[in-house]
Amino acid sequence: MNWLRISGVFLRYFYVACKGLHQLSDLFYWPLVDILIWGLASAWIQSQSHVENLPLMLMTALIFWQITWRGSVDISVSLLQEFWHRNLVNLFSTPLKISEWIAGMLLLSFCKLLITISFGAVVVYVLFALNVFTVGWAFLPFAASLIIFGWALSFLSSSLIIYWGHKVEMFAWMIAFIFAPFSAVFYPIEILPYWAQIIAWCLPTTYIFQGMRAIIATGTFPFHYFWISMGLNVIYLLISLAVFSFMFEKTRKKGLARLE
Amino acid sequence: MKKQNYLSVQNLTKIYGKKKPFVAVDEISFDLKEGEILGLLGPNGSGKTTTIQMLLGTLSHTSGTILYFGKEFPRYRSEVLQSVSFASTYTSLPYILTVRENLKCFGLYYGIRDIDTKTDPLLERFGILDKKYSPISSLSAGQITRLMLVKAFFTNPKVVLLDEPTASLDPDMSAEVCTFLLEERKRTGLSILFTSHKMEEVSEICDRVIFLKNGKIVADDLPKNLARSISSYQLRLTIVDGMKRLIALAEKQNITYKVDNRVIALFLDEKEIPNFLHAIMQQNIAYTSVQIKEPSLDDYFIKLAEKKK
Repeated sequence: MNWLRISGVFLRYFYVACKGLHQLSDLFYWPLVDILIWGLASAWIQSQSHVENLPLMLMTALIFWQITWRGSVDISVSLLQEFWHRNLVNLFSTPLKISEWIAGMLLLSFCKLLITISFGAVVVYVLFALNVFTVGWAFLPFAASLIIFGWALSFLSSSLIIYWGHKVEMFAWMIAFIFAPFSAVFYPIEILPYWAQIIAWCLPTTYIFQGMRAIIATGTFPFHYFWISMGLNVIYLLISLAVFSFMFEKTRKKGLARLE
Repeated sequence: MKKQNYLSVQNLTKIYGKKKPFVAVDEISFDLKEGEILGLLGPNGSGKTTTIQMLLGTLSHTSGTILYFGKEFPRYRSEVLQSVSFASTYTSLPYILTVRENLKCFGLYYGIRDIDTKTDPLLERFGILDKKYSPISSLSAGQITRLMLVKAFFTNPKVVLLDEPTASLDPDMSAEVCTFLLEERKRTGLSILFTSHKMEEVSEICDRVIFLKNGKIVADDLPKNLARSISSYQLRLTIVDGMKRLIALAEKQNITYKVDNRVIALFLDEKEIPNFLHAIMQQNIAYTSVQIKEPSLDDYFIKLAEKKK
Protein backbone atom coordinates (compact mmCIF):
# COMPACT_ATOMS: atom_id res chain seq x y z
CA MET A 1 0.00 0.00 0.00
CA ASN A 2 1.21 3.45 -0.92
CA TRP A 3 0.77 6.16 1.69
CA LEU A 4 0.63 9.00 -0.86
CA ARG A 5 -2.24 7.36 -2.72
CA ILE A 6 -4.06 6.74 0.58
CA SER A 7 -3.60 10.41 1.48
CA GLY A 8 -5.00 11.33 -1.96
CA VAL A 9 -8.18 9.39 -1.21
CA PHE A 10 -8.39 10.91 2.28
CA LEU A 11 -7.99 14.40 0.83
CA ARG A 12 -10.53 13.79 -1.92
CA TYR A 13 -13.31 12.95 0.57
CA PHE A 14 -12.08 15.44 3.14
CA TYR A 15 -12.59 18.27 0.63
CA VAL A 16 -16.13 17.06 0.01
CA ALA A 17 -16.81 16.69 3.74
CA CYS A 18 -15.72 20.29 4.33
CA LYS A 19 -17.80 21.71 1.49
CA GLY A 20 -20.89 19.62 1.03
CA LEU A 21 -23.92 20.75 3.05
CA HIS A 22 -25.14 17.16 2.86
CA GLN A 23 -21.94 15.96 4.55
CA LEU A 24 -22.06 18.66 7.18
CA SER A 25 -25.67 17.78 7.98
CA ASP A 26 -24.60 14.17 8.56
CA LEU A 27 -21.90 15.34 10.93
CA PHE A 28 -23.88 17.91 12.92
CA TYR A 29 -27.53 18.41 11.99
CA TRP A 30 -28.92 14.86 12.28
CA PRO A 31 -27.04 14.03 15.51
CA LEU A 32 -28.37 17.28 16.99
CA VAL A 33 -31.96 16.48 15.97
CA ASP A 34 -31.66 12.98 17.47
CA ILE A 35 -30.20 14.29 20.70
CA LEU A 36 -32.94 16.89 21.11
CA ILE A 37 -35.79 14.46 20.42
CA TRP A 38 -34.42 11.62 22.52
CA GLY A 39 -33.16 13.90 25.26
CA LEU A 40 -36.54 15.53 25.78
CA ALA A 41 -38.39 12.23 25.43
CA SER A 42 -36.13 10.51 27.97
CA ALA A 43 -36.49 13.42 30.42
CA TRP A 44 -40.26 13.04 30.24
CA ILE A 45 -40.14 9.22 30.51
CA GLN A 46 -37.82 9.53 33.54
CA SER A 47 -40.37 11.75 35.27
CA GLN A 48 -42.99 9.02 34.78
CA SER A 49 -40.90 5.94 35.65
CA HIS A 50 -38.58 4.52 38.29
CA VAL A 51 -35.84 3.23 35.99
CA GLU A 52 -32.59 4.60 37.30
CA ASN A 53 -30.38 6.69 35.00
CA LEU A 54 -32.81 6.32 32.09
CA PRO A 55 -31.86 9.59 30.34
CA LEU A 56 -28.15 8.77 30.66
CA MET A 57 -28.73 5.26 29.25
CA LEU A 58 -30.73 6.59 26.33
CA MET A 59 -28.35 9.42 25.51
CA THR A 60 -25.28 7.18 25.74
CA ALA A 61 -27.07 4.64 23.55
CA LEU A 62 -27.86 7.40 21.11
CA ILE A 63 -24.23 8.54 20.88
CA PHE A 64 -23.13 4.90 20.53
CA TRP A 65 -25.69 4.31 17.80
CA GLN A 66 -24.33 7.36 15.95
CA ILE A 67 -20.97 5.56 15.87
CA THR A 68 -22.40 2.49 14.15
CA TRP A 69 -24.57 4.54 11.81
CA ARG A 70 -21.66 6.86 10.94
CA GLY A 71 -19.50 3.86 10.04
CA SER A 72 -22.29 2.23 8.06
CA VAL A 73 -22.80 5.13 5.67
CA ASP A 74 -19.27 6.42 5.13
CA ILE A 75 -17.89 3.90 2.63
CA SER A 76 -21.06 3.40 0.63
CA VAL A 77 -21.81 7.13 0.38
CA SER A 78 -18.22 7.81 -0.69
CA LEU A 79 -18.71 5.22 -3.41
CA LEU A 80 -21.97 6.85 -4.44
CA GLN A 81 -20.21 10.20 -4.69
CA GLU A 82 -18.02 8.73 -7.42
CA PHE A 83 -21.18 7.72 -9.31
CA TRP A 84 -22.80 11.13 -8.86
CA HIS A 85 -19.63 12.94 -9.98
CA ARG A 86 -19.02 10.55 -12.92
CA ASN A 87 -15.55 10.00 -11.52
CA LEU A 88 -15.46 6.23 -11.07
CA VAL A 89 -13.59 5.49 -14.30
CA ASN A 90 -11.18 8.39 -13.68
CA LEU A 91 -10.47 7.10 -10.19
CA PHE A 92 -9.92 3.44 -11.01
CA SER A 93 -7.89 4.12 -14.15
CA THR A 94 -5.14 5.52 -11.92
CA PRO A 95 -2.55 3.40 -10.05
CA LEU A 96 -4.82 3.52 -7.00
CA LYS A 97 -5.52 0.07 -5.54
CA ILE A 98 -8.88 -0.85 -4.08
CA SER A 99 -7.19 -1.56 -0.74
CA GLU A 100 -5.72 1.98 -0.74
CA TRP A 101 -9.11 3.46 -1.57
CA ILE A 102 -10.61 1.57 1.38
CA ALA A 103 -7.78 2.59 3.72
CA GLY A 104 -8.16 6.28 2.80
CA MET A 105 -11.90 6.18 3.35
CA LEU A 106 -11.66 4.35 6.68
CA LEU A 107 -9.15 6.92 7.89
CA LEU A 108 -11.52 9.76 7.06
CA SER A 109 -14.47 7.84 8.48
CA PHE A 110 -12.58 7.55 11.77
CA CYS A 111 -11.86 11.30 11.82
CA LYS A 112 -15.51 12.12 11.08
CA LEU A 113 -16.51 9.77 13.87
CA LEU A 114 -14.34 11.65 16.37
CA ILE A 115 -16.02 14.89 15.31
CA THR A 116 -19.54 13.43 15.64
CA ILE A 117 -18.84 11.92 19.07
CA SER A 118 -17.22 15.08 20.39
CA PHE A 119 -20.03 17.27 19.08
CA GLY A 120 -22.73 14.92 20.39
CA ALA A 121 -21.13 14.58 23.82
CA VAL A 122 -20.82 18.37 24.20
CA VAL A 123 -24.43 18.95 23.11
CA VAL A 124 -25.73 16.29 25.53
CA TYR A 125 -23.71 17.81 28.37
CA VAL A 126 -24.76 21.39 27.62
CA LEU A 127 -28.46 20.70 27.02
CA PHE A 128 -29.14 17.88 29.47
CA ALA A 129 -26.20 18.01 31.92
CA LEU A 130 -25.41 14.36 31.19
CA ASN A 131 -21.92 12.96 30.71
CA VAL A 132 -21.95 10.15 28.16
CA PHE A 133 -18.39 9.29 29.18
CA THR A 134 -19.77 7.95 32.46
CA VAL A 135 -18.96 4.50 31.09
CA GLY A 136 -15.32 5.58 31.55
CA TRP A 137 -12.44 4.02 29.65
CA ALA A 138 -14.82 1.36 28.28
CA PHE A 139 -16.03 4.01 25.88
CA LEU A 140 -13.01 3.45 23.63
CA PRO A 141 -13.21 -0.33 23.09
CA PHE A 142 -17.00 -0.08 22.82
CA ALA A 143 -16.71 2.65 20.21
CA ALA A 144 -14.09 0.62 18.31
CA SER A 145 -16.37 -2.40 18.22
CA LEU A 146 -19.35 -0.34 17.09
CA ILE A 147 -17.54 1.39 14.26
CA ILE A 148 -16.06 -1.88 13.00
CA PHE A 149 -19.56 -3.30 12.71
CA GLY A 150 -20.66 -0.09 10.98
CA TRP A 151 -17.86 -0.54 8.45
CA ALA A 152 -18.81 -4.18 7.91
CA LEU A 153 -22.37 -3.06 7.13
CA SER A 154 -21.07 -0.35 4.85
CA PHE A 155 -18.99 -2.85 2.87
CA LEU A 156 -22.10 -5.00 2.49
CA SER A 157 -24.22 -2.14 1.15
CA SER A 158 -21.29 -1.05 -1.04
CA SER A 159 -21.17 -4.57 -2.46
CA LEU A 160 -24.76 -4.17 -3.63
CA ILE A 161 -24.20 -0.64 -4.89
CA ILE A 162 -21.03 -1.41 -6.84
CA TYR A 163 -22.88 -4.09 -8.78
CA TRP A 164 -26.47 -2.85 -9.11
CA GLY A 165 -25.68 0.88 -9.07
CA HIS A 166 -28.13 3.70 -8.42
CA LYS A 167 -31.22 1.52 -8.09
CA VAL A 168 -30.01 0.14 -4.75
CA GLU A 169 -28.36 3.30 -3.42
CA MET A 170 -30.94 3.58 -0.59
CA PHE A 171 -29.12 0.67 1.11
CA ALA A 172 -26.31 3.09 1.94
CA TRP A 173 -28.57 4.78 4.51
CA MET A 174 -30.91 1.88 5.28
CA ILE A 175 -28.60 -0.95 6.16
CA ALA A 176 -27.80 0.06 9.74
CA PHE A 177 -31.49 0.55 10.53
CA ILE A 178 -32.26 -2.99 9.38
CA PHE A 179 -30.12 -4.19 12.30
CA ALA A 180 -31.07 -1.46 14.79
CA PRO A 181 -34.20 -3.17 16.24
CA PHE A 182 -32.18 -6.37 16.86
CA SER A 183 -29.24 -4.53 18.42
CA ALA A 184 -31.26 -3.55 21.52
CA VAL A 185 -29.95 -0.02 21.28
CA PHE A 186 -32.44 1.72 23.56
CA TYR A 187 -33.94 -1.23 25.45
CA PRO A 188 -32.71 -4.46 27.08
CA ILE A 189 -32.63 -7.52 24.86
CA GLU A 190 -35.22 -9.26 27.05
CA ILE A 191 -37.90 -6.98 25.53
CA LEU A 192 -37.43 -8.71 22.16
CA PRO A 193 -39.39 -11.85 21.25
CA TYR A 194 -37.42 -15.07 21.50
CA TRP A 195 -36.76 -15.46 17.75
CA ALA A 196 -35.49 -11.87 17.60
CA GLN A 197 -33.23 -12.48 20.59
CA ILE A 198 -31.50 -15.29 18.66
CA ILE A 199 -30.72 -12.85 15.87
CA ALA A 200 -29.73 -10.17 18.37
CA TRP A 201 -27.11 -12.38 20.05
CA CYS A 202 -25.49 -12.86 16.63
CA LEU A 203 -24.86 -9.12 16.32
CA PRO A 204 -21.77 -7.51 17.87
CA THR A 205 -23.73 -4.35 18.61
CA THR A 206 -26.11 -6.14 21.01
CA TYR A 207 -23.21 -7.05 23.34
CA ILE A 208 -22.00 -3.45 23.35
CA PHE A 209 -25.39 -1.93 24.15
CA GLN A 210 -26.06 -4.56 26.84
CA GLY A 211 -22.57 -3.91 28.22
CA MET A 212 -23.12 -0.16 28.20
CA ARG A 213 -26.30 -0.53 30.25
CA ALA A 214 -24.53 -2.91 32.63
CA ILE A 215 -21.77 -0.37 33.31
CA ILE A 216 -24.25 2.44 33.95
CA ALA A 217 -26.36 0.22 36.20
CA THR A 218 -23.66 -1.66 38.11
CA GLY A 219 -20.37 0.05 37.29
CA THR A 220 -18.90 -3.28 36.14
CA PHE A 221 -17.30 -3.68 32.73
CA PRO A 222 -18.51 -6.92 31.10
CA PHE A 223 -15.30 -8.15 29.51
CA HIS A 224 -16.87 -11.25 28.02
CA TYR A 225 -19.43 -9.12 26.14
CA PHE A 226 -16.67 -7.03 24.65
CA TRP A 227 -14.60 -10.00 23.49
CA ILE A 228 -17.59 -11.78 21.94
CA SER A 229 -18.47 -8.55 20.17
CA MET A 230 -14.95 -8.14 18.80
CA GLY A 231 -14.82 -11.78 17.72
CA LEU A 232 -18.07 -11.41 15.78
CA ASN A 233 -16.78 -8.14 14.31
CA VAL A 234 -13.65 -9.78 12.94
CA ILE A 235 -15.76 -12.46 11.28
CA TYR A 236 -18.29 -10.00 9.81
CA LEU A 237 -15.67 -7.53 8.66
CA LEU A 238 -13.66 -10.23 6.89
CA ILE A 239 -16.82 -11.61 5.25
CA SER A 240 -18.01 -8.16 4.14
CA LEU A 241 -14.55 -7.29 2.75
CA ALA A 242 -14.47 -10.56 0.84
CA VAL A 243 -17.98 -9.94 -0.53
CA PHE A 244 -17.04 -6.39 -1.55
CA SER A 245 -13.85 -7.54 -3.32
CA PHE A 246 -15.81 -10.28 -5.08
CA MET A 247 -18.55 -7.88 -6.21
CA PHE A 248 -15.98 -5.29 -7.32
CA GLU A 249 -14.32 -7.85 -9.58
CA LYS A 250 -17.73 -9.03 -10.76
CA THR A 251 -18.71 -5.49 -11.70
CA ARG A 252 -15.47 -5.07 -13.66
CA LYS A 253 -16.82 -7.76 -15.96
CA LYS A 254 -19.69 -5.44 -16.83
CA GLY A 255 -17.55 -2.31 -16.69
CA LEU A 256 -17.36 0.52 -14.20
CA ALA A 257 -18.41 3.07 -16.82
CA ARG A 258 -21.98 1.75 -16.83
CA LEU A 259 -22.41 2.94 -13.23
CA GLU A 260 -21.75 6.61 -14.02
CA MET B 1 17.07 1.98 -33.56
CA LYS B 2 13.98 -0.20 -33.32
CA LYS B 3 11.26 1.35 -31.21
CA GLN B 4 9.82 -0.79 -28.44
CA ASN B 5 6.16 -1.64 -28.07
CA TYR B 6 4.68 0.37 -25.24
CA LEU B 7 1.41 -1.49 -25.61
CA SER B 8 0.80 -4.86 -27.17
CA VAL B 9 -2.70 -6.28 -27.51
CA GLN B 10 -3.20 -9.89 -28.59
CA ASN B 11 -6.56 -11.50 -29.43
CA LEU B 12 -8.39 -9.20 -27.05
CA THR B 13 -12.01 -10.25 -26.72
CA LYS B 14 -14.96 -9.01 -24.71
CA ILE B 15 -18.17 -11.01 -24.56
CA TYR B 16 -21.11 -9.72 -22.52
CA GLY B 17 -23.69 -12.08 -21.07
CA LYS B 18 -23.88 -15.85 -21.00
CA LYS B 19 -27.41 -16.77 -22.11
CA LYS B 20 -27.39 -14.44 -25.11
CA PRO B 21 -23.70 -13.69 -25.56
CA PHE B 22 -22.85 -10.43 -27.29
CA VAL B 23 -19.33 -10.07 -28.70
CA ALA B 24 -18.39 -6.41 -28.24
CA VAL B 25 -14.72 -6.86 -29.13
CA ASP B 26 -13.66 -9.82 -31.19
CA GLU B 27 -10.04 -11.03 -31.03
CA ILE B 28 -8.36 -7.76 -31.89
CA SER B 29 -4.56 -7.50 -31.96
CA PHE B 30 -2.43 -4.41 -32.37
CA ASP B 31 0.73 -2.74 -31.06
CA LEU B 32 1.38 0.81 -29.98
CA LYS B 33 5.02 1.72 -30.45
CA GLU B 34 7.05 4.24 -28.51
CA GLY B 35 6.25 7.72 -29.83
CA GLU B 36 3.40 6.53 -32.02
CA ILE B 37 -0.02 8.18 -32.27
CA LEU B 38 -2.56 5.53 -33.15
CA GLY B 39 -6.13 6.34 -34.12
CA LEU B 40 -8.85 3.94 -33.05
CA LEU B 41 -11.84 4.63 -35.26
CA GLY B 42 -15.16 3.10 -36.11
CA PRO B 43 -18.89 3.76 -36.15
CA ASN B 44 -20.89 3.97 -32.92
CA GLY B 45 -21.00 0.59 -31.19
CA SER B 46 -17.94 -0.72 -33.03
CA GLY B 47 -16.05 -1.42 -29.77
CA LYS B 48 -13.73 1.60 -29.43
CA THR B 49 -14.75 2.65 -25.92
CA THR B 50 -14.98 -0.98 -24.79
CA THR B 51 -11.40 -1.47 -25.96
CA ILE B 52 -10.21 1.63 -24.10
CA GLN B 53 -12.03 0.57 -20.93
CA MET B 54 -10.30 -2.82 -21.10
CA LEU B 55 -6.94 -1.12 -21.62
CA LEU B 56 -7.61 0.90 -18.45
CA GLY B 57 -8.69 -2.11 -16.41
CA THR B 58 -12.11 -0.62 -15.62
CA LEU B 59 -13.62 -3.42 -17.69
CA SER B 60 -12.22 -6.93 -17.54
CA HIS B 61 -11.60 -8.75 -20.81
CA THR B 62 -12.99 -12.19 -21.59
CA SER B 63 -9.83 -13.46 -23.26
CA GLY B 64 -6.62 -12.29 -24.86
CA THR B 65 -3.62 -10.47 -23.45
CA ILE B 66 -2.67 -6.85 -22.83
CA LEU B 67 0.99 -6.03 -22.29
CA TYR B 68 2.18 -2.56 -21.28
CA PHE B 69 5.95 -2.13 -21.50
CA GLY B 70 6.19 -5.92 -21.68
CA LYS B 71 4.28 -6.39 -18.43
CA GLU B 72 1.03 -8.26 -18.21
CA PHE B 73 -2.06 -6.16 -17.51
CA PRO B 74 -4.05 -6.23 -15.25
CA ARG B 75 -1.64 -8.41 -13.23
CA TYR B 76 0.74 -5.46 -12.78
CA ARG B 77 -2.12 -2.97 -12.88
CA SER B 78 -0.95 -0.42 -10.33
CA GLU B 79 2.68 -0.45 -11.50
CA VAL B 80 1.72 -0.16 -15.17
CA LEU B 81 -0.90 2.56 -14.69
CA GLN B 82 1.79 4.74 -13.11
CA SER B 83 2.86 5.44 -16.70
CA VAL B 84 -0.54 5.36 -18.37
CA SER B 85 -3.14 8.09 -18.26
CA PHE B 86 -6.58 8.71 -19.65
CA ALA B 87 -8.88 11.52 -20.70
CA SER B 88 -12.40 11.38 -22.01
CA THR B 89 -15.14 13.85 -22.78
CA TYR B 90 -17.61 11.44 -21.23
CA THR B 91 -16.33 11.46 -17.67
CA SER B 92 -16.28 14.33 -15.20
CA LEU B 93 -14.68 15.24 -11.90
CA PRO B 94 -16.09 15.90 -8.40
CA TYR B 95 -17.90 19.17 -9.04
CA ILE B 96 -17.72 20.52 -5.48
CA LEU B 97 -13.93 20.43 -5.55
CA THR B 98 -11.87 23.13 -7.23
CA VAL B 99 -9.64 22.48 -10.23
CA ARG B 100 -6.57 22.52 -8.01
CA GLU B 101 -8.08 20.21 -5.38
CA ASN B 102 -8.99 17.68 -8.05
CA LEU B 103 -5.53 17.81 -9.60
CA LYS B 104 -3.94 17.58 -6.14
CA CYS B 105 -5.80 14.31 -5.45
CA PHE B 106 -4.94 12.87 -8.86
CA GLY B 107 -1.32 13.93 -8.36
CA LEU B 108 -1.18 11.97 -5.11
CA TYR B 109 -2.62 8.87 -6.83
CA TYR B 110 0.41 9.06 -9.14
CA GLY B 111 2.81 9.80 -6.28
CA ILE B 112 3.26 13.50 -7.16
CA ARG B 113 3.39 15.87 -4.19
CA ASP B 114 4.17 19.21 -5.78
CA ILE B 115 1.53 19.58 -8.43
CA ASP B 116 1.62 23.33 -9.13
CA THR B 117 4.89 23.31 -11.06
CA LYS B 118 3.51 20.54 -13.26
CA THR B 119 -0.09 21.66 -13.70
CA ASP B 120 0.26 25.46 -14.04
CA PRO B 121 1.99 25.44 -17.47
CA LEU B 122 -0.64 23.03 -18.78
CA LEU B 123 -3.55 24.98 -17.30
CA GLU B 124 -2.11 28.10 -18.94
CA ARG B 125 -1.63 26.32 -22.26
CA PHE B 126 -5.27 25.25 -22.28
CA GLY B 127 -6.49 28.67 -21.17
CA ILE B 128 -7.89 27.68 -17.77
CA LEU B 129 -5.20 28.87 -15.35
CA ASP B 130 -7.60 31.56 -14.11
CA LYS B 131 -10.00 28.74 -13.11
CA LYS B 132 -7.45 27.03 -10.88
CA TYR B 133 -9.30 27.90 -7.68
CA SER B 134 -12.81 27.63 -9.13
CA PRO B 135 -15.08 24.66 -8.47
CA ILE B 136 -15.65 22.26 -11.35
CA SER B 137 -19.35 23.17 -11.23
CA SER B 138 -18.48 26.65 -12.53
CA LEU B 139 -16.61 25.34 -15.58
CA SER B 140 -18.12 24.96 -19.04
CA ALA B 141 -18.14 21.58 -20.81
CA GLY B 142 -15.23 22.70 -22.98
CA GLN B 143 -13.22 23.81 -19.95
CA ILE B 144 -13.82 20.45 -18.23
CA THR B 145 -12.61 18.68 -21.38
CA ARG B 146 -9.44 20.78 -21.31
CA LEU B 147 -8.99 20.05 -17.62
CA MET B 148 -9.23 16.35 -18.41
CA LEU B 149 -6.31 16.79 -20.78
CA VAL B 150 -4.31 18.56 -18.06
CA LYS B 151 -5.12 15.64 -15.75
CA ALA B 152 -3.92 13.18 -18.38
CA PHE B 153 -0.63 14.92 -19.15
CA PHE B 154 0.69 16.36 -15.87
CA THR B 155 1.60 12.91 -14.53
CA ASN B 156 4.38 12.39 -17.11
CA PRO B 157 2.74 9.41 -18.82
CA LYS B 158 4.36 7.18 -21.42
CA VAL B 159 1.02 6.10 -22.85
CA VAL B 160 -2.08 8.28 -23.02
CA LEU B 161 -5.49 6.91 -23.91
CA LEU B 162 -7.77 9.63 -25.24
CA ASP B 163 -11.45 8.92 -25.83
CA GLU B 164 -12.77 11.69 -28.08
CA PRO B 165 -10.75 14.38 -26.28
CA THR B 166 -11.87 17.20 -28.56
CA ALA B 167 -15.58 16.31 -28.84
CA SER B 168 -16.86 19.36 -26.98
CA LEU B 169 -14.20 21.85 -28.07
CA ASP B 170 -14.38 24.78 -30.48
CA PRO B 171 -12.41 24.33 -33.72
CA ASP B 172 -9.61 26.66 -32.57
CA MET B 173 -9.18 24.81 -29.28
CA SER B 174 -9.36 21.43 -31.08
CA ALA B 175 -6.53 22.60 -33.33
CA GLU B 176 -4.60 23.75 -30.26
CA VAL B 177 -5.07 20.33 -28.65
CA CYS B 178 -3.80 18.58 -31.80
CA THR B 179 -0.74 20.85 -31.89
CA PHE B 180 -0.16 20.13 -28.21
CA LEU B 181 -0.35 16.36 -28.74
CA LEU B 182 2.19 16.50 -31.56
CA GLU B 183 4.52 18.70 -29.49
CA GLU B 184 4.25 16.46 -26.44
CA ARG B 185 5.01 13.40 -28.54
CA LYS B 186 8.10 15.13 -29.95
CA ARG B 187 9.21 16.40 -26.53
CA THR B 188 8.67 13.25 -24.45
CA GLY B 189 8.32 10.41 -26.93
CA LEU B 190 5.02 9.33 -25.43
CA SER B 191 2.53 7.18 -27.29
CA ILE B 192 -1.12 8.06 -27.76
CA LEU B 193 -4.16 5.95 -28.52
CA PHE B 194 -6.77 8.30 -29.86
CA THR B 195 -10.45 7.91 -30.68
CA SER B 196 -12.34 10.64 -32.48
CA HIS B 197 -15.16 11.22 -34.91
CA LYS B 198 -13.30 14.16 -36.43
CA MET B 199 -11.57 12.48 -39.36
CA GLU B 200 -9.64 15.59 -40.38
CA GLU B 201 -8.07 15.68 -36.94
CA VAL B 202 -7.21 11.98 -37.09
CA SER B 203 -5.60 12.38 -40.53
CA GLU B 204 -3.56 15.27 -39.19
CA ILE B 205 -2.11 13.73 -36.06
CA CYS B 206 -2.28 9.93 -36.30
CA ASP B 207 0.65 7.95 -37.68
CA ARG B 208 -1.55 4.95 -38.11
CA VAL B 209 -5.24 4.18 -37.93
CA ILE B 210 -7.16 1.11 -36.87
CA PHE B 211 -10.75 0.79 -38.01
CA LEU B 212 -13.11 -1.26 -35.89
CA LYS B 213 -16.42 -2.57 -37.11
CA ASN B 214 -18.67 -4.88 -35.10
CA GLY B 215 -15.80 -5.41 -32.67
CA LYS B 216 -13.31 -6.52 -35.33
CA ILE B 217 -10.37 -4.74 -36.89
CA VAL B 218 -11.27 -4.19 -40.54
CA ALA B 219 -8.32 -1.98 -41.44
CA ASP B 220 -4.92 -1.07 -40.01
CA ASP B 221 -2.94 1.38 -42.13
CA LEU B 222 -1.75 4.95 -42.62
CA PRO B 223 -4.67 7.43 -42.77
CA LYS B 224 -3.67 8.40 -46.33
CA ASN B 225 -3.59 4.80 -47.56
CA LEU B 226 -6.97 4.02 -46.02
CA ALA B 227 -8.56 6.99 -47.73
CA ARG B 228 -7.07 6.04 -51.07
CA SER B 229 -7.91 2.38 -50.69
CA ILE B 230 -11.62 2.81 -51.20
CA SER B 231 -12.33 6.18 -52.69
CA SER B 232 -11.61 7.88 -55.99
CA TYR B 233 -10.98 11.56 -56.48
CA GLN B 234 -14.11 13.63 -56.80
CA LEU B 235 -14.41 15.99 -59.78
CA ARG B 236 -17.23 18.49 -59.26
CA LEU B 237 -18.41 20.57 -62.19
CA THR B 238 -21.17 23.21 -62.43
CA ILE B 239 -22.57 22.67 -65.89
CA VAL B 240 -23.98 25.53 -68.00
CA ASP B 241 -24.68 23.50 -71.15
CA GLY B 242 -24.33 19.80 -72.09
CA MET B 243 -25.31 17.88 -68.95
CA LYS B 244 -26.84 15.08 -71.02
CA ARG B 245 -23.69 14.74 -73.14
CA LEU B 246 -21.56 14.70 -70.00
CA ILE B 247 -23.64 11.95 -68.42
CA ALA B 248 -23.39 9.92 -71.61
CA LEU B 249 -19.61 10.42 -71.62
CA ALA B 250 -19.33 9.33 -67.99
CA GLU B 251 -21.44 6.23 -68.63
CA LYS B 252 -19.40 5.38 -71.70
CA GLN B 253 -16.19 5.52 -69.63
CA ASN B 254 -17.77 3.64 -66.68
CA ILE B 255 -17.34 6.60 -64.35
CA THR B 256 -19.63 6.81 -61.31
CA TYR B 257 -21.45 10.14 -60.96
CA LYS B 258 -24.04 11.98 -58.89
CA VAL B 259 -26.12 14.83 -60.26
CA ASP B 260 -27.53 17.56 -58.07
CA ASN B 261 -29.34 20.19 -60.14
CA ARG B 262 -26.59 21.78 -62.33
CA VAL B 263 -23.75 20.22 -60.34
CA ILE B 264 -22.29 16.87 -61.22
CA ALA B 265 -19.83 14.96 -59.04
CA LEU B 266 -17.73 12.37 -60.89
CA PHE B 267 -15.67 9.74 -59.06
CA LEU B 268 -12.50 8.75 -60.91
CA ASP B 269 -8.81 8.05 -60.45
CA GLU B 270 -6.41 10.95 -60.10
CA LYS B 271 -4.61 9.98 -63.36
CA GLU B 272 -7.86 9.99 -65.37
CA ILE B 273 -8.78 13.60 -64.52
CA PRO B 274 -6.73 15.45 -67.23
CA ASN B 275 -7.96 13.11 -70.00
CA PHE B 276 -11.55 13.41 -68.85
CA LEU B 277 -11.39 17.24 -68.76
CA HIS B 278 -9.91 17.14 -72.27
CA ALA B 279 -12.81 14.94 -73.45
CA ILE B 280 -15.31 17.39 -71.95
CA MET B 281 -13.69 20.22 -73.91
CA GLN B 282 -13.90 18.22 -77.13
CA GLN B 283 -17.65 17.64 -76.56
CA ASN B 284 -18.17 21.42 -76.16
CA ILE B 285 -19.63 20.98 -72.70
CA ALA B 286 -19.67 24.35 -70.92
CA TYR B 287 -19.05 24.62 -67.20
CA THR B 288 -18.55 27.56 -64.84
CA SER B 289 -16.64 26.00 -61.99
CA VAL B 290 -14.43 22.97 -61.42
CA GLN B 291 -13.44 21.49 -58.10
CA ILE B 292 -11.19 18.49 -57.41
CA LYS B 293 -11.57 16.82 -54.01
CA GLU B 294 -8.95 14.39 -52.72
CA PRO B 295 -10.23 11.21 -51.06
CA SER B 296 -10.32 11.61 -47.27
CA LEU B 297 -10.66 9.49 -44.19
CA ASP B 298 -14.19 10.86 -43.98
CA ASP B 299 -14.99 9.06 -47.24
CA TYR B 300 -13.57 5.84 -45.84
CA PHE B 301 -15.61 6.24 -42.66
CA ILE B 302 -18.84 6.92 -44.57
CA LYS B 303 -18.22 3.94 -46.84
CA LEU B 304 -17.70 1.75 -43.79
CA ALA B 305 -20.92 2.97 -42.19
CA GLU B 306 -22.81 2.41 -45.47
CA LYS B 307 -21.59 -1.17 -45.61
CA LYS B 308 -23.05 -1.66 -42.15
CA LYS B 309 -26.46 -0.48 -43.38
